[in-house]
Amino acid sequence: MIRHVEGTGILHRIHPLTAFGLAVSISTSVFVAPPPLGPVAVLAGTVILAVVSRLPSALGRTVVVSVPFWGFLLLIHGLLRHDPGRAVVIGSRVSTVILVFAAVVTAVQPARLVDALAALRAPFSVGYVFSATLLVVPRLRDRARAISEAQQCRGLRVAGSPLGRIRAVVPLTVPLVLSALSEVDERAVALATRGVGGRAVRTVLHPPNAGGLDVAMGILGVGILVGSFFWRVG
Amino acid sequence: MTAIEVAGLGYTHPGSDQPALADLDVSIPAGRVTLVTGRLGAGCSTLLEILAGVAPRLTGGTLTGTVRVLGVDPSTREGGRTLVGRVVMLLPTPSSQLSGMTSTVRDEVAFGPANLGWDRQRIARVVDGELDRLGIAGLADRDPATLSGGELQRVILAGCLAMEPEVLLLDEPAAELDPPMAERLYALLPELTATTVVLATTDVDRASPHVQEVVVLDGGGVVAAGSPSEALGQEAVVGLDAGSTVARIVYEAGGRGRLPIDVAGVREWIAS
Repeated sequence: MIRHVEGTGILHRIHPLTAFGLAVSISTSVFVAPPPLGPVAVLAGTVILAVVSRLPSALGRTVVVSVPFWGFLLLIHGLLRHDPGRAVVIGSRVSTVILVFAAVVTAVQPARLVDALAALRAPFSVGYVFSATLLVVPRLRDRARAISEAQQCRGLRVAGSPLGRIRAVVPLTVPLVLSALSEVDERAVALATRGVGGRAVRTVLHPPNAGGLDVAMGILGVGILVGSFFWRVG
Repeated sequence: MTAIEVAGLGYTHPGSDQPALADLDVSIPAGRVTLVTGRLGAGCSTLLEILAGVAPRLTGGTLTGTVRVLGVDPSTREGGRTLVGRVVMLLPTPSSQLSGMTSTVRDEVAFGPANLGWDRQRIARVVDGELDRLGIAGLADRDPATLSGGELQRVILAGCLAMEPEVLLLDEPAAELDPPMAERLYALLPELTATTVVLATTDVDRASPHVQEVVVLDGGGVVAAGSPSEALGQEAVVGLDAGSTVARIVYEAGGRGRLPIDVAGVREWIAS
């Protein structure tokens, strides 16, 4: 599961919006760059960026998600259609997008992102939607674990035969979905009781600064995109 | 001077046929600590949600009668906006009141003041003050997600106090605290002289020595109101199981009329 991890790598240090801009640039470039070499090169560059930024968890998660996907692609395009190059292109594109966003989500603290958006005078709701999106997966995972433990205390068996496991899905899923829906109401009440919704403009507690590293990353992002474009048309 | 005026208030939760509050009349004086108590389901929490503008605006339901908090109707959108920051409510489950956007206790406490647009210096000053006052300065750099329920309850209370509200609504503020900490929290309330505090709890024995006014609810209406000894010493209240333990013991021992609610009261009651 992807969640923010404290660190001191490049992506941790740059402005949150620079990091997201870089992610958008790389994700676009991997589709613009000419196949078959272009997407593979962009993927390789993204892996290097993740390694340099010391984000092993993002790399690990990307591998876990990508391996079965690559397996299916190689099976379909390699064995059935005799076009393994196509599998590599599609796989590289998908893995790049997963990796770059996993890296950004791992590196960017949600609170910093909210502050960055607030510093741009974006409405609180915009920052909160971004932040809540980044936090929803860990929150749901914690809730799912609590529901699973509660149901097991009440006699639900989640191990055993495949049929038994399938039967256990309903008593676990229904409370999870319902509690996720009630979470929306809880959040609304919690925010309303803590000063959200007033007329004041929210104070940015830690204004994120953009420095030389941001300029370098900005140039890198634009360079990758422009380079991919000219590589394709050239 | 009255901070809260409620007249003929009725409220029914969404999906329910039974009103949670019915024809309720309550007047809460400004700058004092008022205990709202009663049996579970008496309507105490519902009343606080209405005063905070949460019900029915966010929760749904049907409201009748009039509510005025600091002269403003909190049930309207405009009234709710006017009261943001002036009326603050502490929910009984602190984990559900976390902002979910901060990675340190200090920032969590600063969340409310930041929403009010205060400058960073003022925010830092009030946050430090409240962290000290609630004895959680040592937790300032911890991730709120790693705290125990009791620690979290103090963090959220610090966040509420840091907003320097004119009206502070506390719904079971000691639900996750150990007895000494609960005692300490209640003892803190009379110090908030610039704030009207409305405390809803069934923890009457611990809370009542620290409040100046009491409103006892049952079945969605007021059963008794007045000073702690006036309201909690009434036979009707003791009969509801909503009074103090001392009053209940005296009642079960055959005492009738105005019953004492604490040990000092028992001494006077015996002497008289």
